[in-house]
Amino acid sequence: MQPYDILISVNTNMKGYKMANLSISGISQRIFNTTKHENTVARSTNPFAASSFKGNVLTADVFESSVKNNQPAFTGKTKLMAAALVGNISNLGSRINAGIESVVAFGNRMKESVVNIWNRIDSIKLEDSVKSLFEPGIINKNTIAKMQPEQLSDVKMLLNDNIAKWSESLAA
Amino acid sequence: MVDKKIRKNVENIIEGLSMNPSPESVVILDEVGTNSAIDDVRELTSCALVKRNEHESLSVVIVNKGKGINDMSTFVAMSTINELLALDDKSTAIKILEDTVEMHSDEEVRDNARSVKALMSLS
Repeated sequence: MQPYDILISVNTNMKGYKMANLSISGISQRIFNTTKHENTVARSTNPFAASSFKGNVLTADVFESSVKNNQPAFTGKTKLMAAALVGNISNLGSRINAGIESVVAFGNRMKESVVNIWNRIDSIKLEDSVKSLFEPGIINKNTIAKMQPEQLSDVKMLLNDNIAKWSESLAA
Repeated sequence: MVDKKIRKNVENIIEGLSMNPSPESVVILDEVGTNSAIDDVRELTSCALVKRNEHESLSVVIVNKGKGINDMSTFVAMSTINELLALDDKSTAIKILEDTVEMHSDEEVRDNARSVKALMSLS
């Protein structure tokens, strides 16, 4: 007696159950011949299997391009050129950063210079003698300070004239 | 109202004369500036003479009655005293003030010199 004969006998004795195709050969095929189910039902622990790849796990080779085979191999001189190119590209970022830093430093230096120049201009007080050069008719005191004693008689007259004008303007 | 240019010319002439090393410049300031009828001119002249800080120039504003610290105008007298107090080297001015207190014939000039000397000693 085979084990499946017992199973069939149990199942056929249950009430309320209708079983289609209850032939022994059909049932035994469904129980023991699993090849048909394995072809259609996914059996995998991959959580994405049901929704995406039906249990087929992707490998790295899936996305390998067929064009790759047409790429020329790096050999000899081309390899050196490629290495130089890669080296240049890898240094490009640092060189750009260095350039930006130098521009920023230059800008800061220029700003400091402008601020210093402005502060110096602001701190310098123009002497009255320099200011008087731009005012027409104003006598320069430094010129009088450097005059010889024999020239001071003219200065005395000049002082008298200006005091007289001052008196006239007060009287008017 | 006095013209700005005229006032500036007078100021520059007085300052130029005070900077000129010639003794003749002190004479001009004494004759023209301190004898002017205008208070501002006398005030400018007295301050310029004090800034010169020489015996001759300081004597003009300390010893002479009606000039410098002895001027009838309080404005001129006080400006001259302020200029004396602002001097870095007061030795020459104090010497002239001491001589004035001891030897001047006019009592008012002596009193003024004594008061100014006391102020300079305290400053």
